[in-house]
Amino acid sequence: MLSGKNLVITGCLQGIGKETLRVFAENRANVFACAFQQDAEYENFCAELARRNSVQITPVYFDMMDQASIKEAAKVIQKSKMEIHGLVNIAGINKDAFFNMVTYQDMIDTFQVNFFSQIVFTQYIVKLMQRYKTRGSIVFTSSITAFDGNEGQVVYGASKAALVGAMKSMALELGGAGIRVNCVAPGVITSPMTEKLGESLLEEKVKRMDIPRLGAACEVADTYMFLMSELSSHISGQVLRVDGGM
Amino acid sequence: MTNLEIYNKAFMETFEIEEDKLAGLNYQDIDAWDSVGHMALIAALEDAFDIMMDTDDIIDFSSYEKGKELLAKDDYGVEFQ
Repeated sequence: MLSGKNLVITGCLQGIGKETLRVFAENRANVFACAFQQDAEYENFCAELARRNSVQITPVYFDMMDQASIKEAAKVIQKSKMEIHGLVNIAGINKDAFFNMVTYQDMIDTFQVNFFSQIVFTQYIVKLMQRYKTRGSIVFTSSITAFDGNEGQVVYGASKAALVGAMKSMALELGGAGIRVNCVAPGVITSPMTEKLGESLLEEKVKRMDIPRLGAACEVADTYMFLMSELSSHISGQVLRVDGGM
Repeated sequence: MTNLEIYNKAFMETFEIEEDKLAGLNYQDIDAWDSVGHMALIAALEDAFDIMMDTDDIIDFSSYEKGKELLAKDDYGVEFQ
């Protein structure tokens, strides 16, 4: 479904990002697989994925808290001289704390990673897409918390809502250049992040779903694949909830 | 090609203008150098000099002369001598 496309994914080290990398590779995309830190196991995973699917997987490392490293990462992608067809922003952080317990530094850090750095990195990648006049696709990872709220996630939810606001305007600005911009809003997905929630809270959430089970990372990855593929060629400025009908 | 020739070529090809129109040329002096043309020029320069420009510098890039000044910074190291 993604054959011939060169795509960038952030947050590939674990969870939904790693699963998305697998799904994209198995659908024949070449991927710049961005991760927070160099890791031998991760490099082996990328190499094996590339070999098995006859695609190019290029690990790229940067810290979303460090603007210089973001720029260096973009330069690595630029130097490849490959036409870039899409970007999936998955990397994010979540520092749960009740409203009165949120520190100012946590607010700054959360917005730095979940919003500011994502916009900066996307600016770099969009420039590369525009260079080749590529018809492309950008996806941000929002969350159902942005729409429904969640106790302990005031700042996280706000950062994910900010992405929706940015996405709407970017879709307007970039549509003329043939670049679609959308958000995916995962619900409760089995991942290292949700493992911290505790069994009783997870059960309570599952009861509220039309499809009463936790989502799987591959189901979110499939949604990203749809938005990167030509199947979604007339979809822009939208939020797709992947939440089992919460 | 010298860096100046590469720089001029990016302008001439992006905006489809002759070399004698480059000196003193400012952003939005001609129809082709609008916001879309600006990003196309930046892309052409980044490609030509193998650099990645900061957003602040892209915004600051207000004229043919200012562009040369920005590219000569240590960040990019493009020499025009």
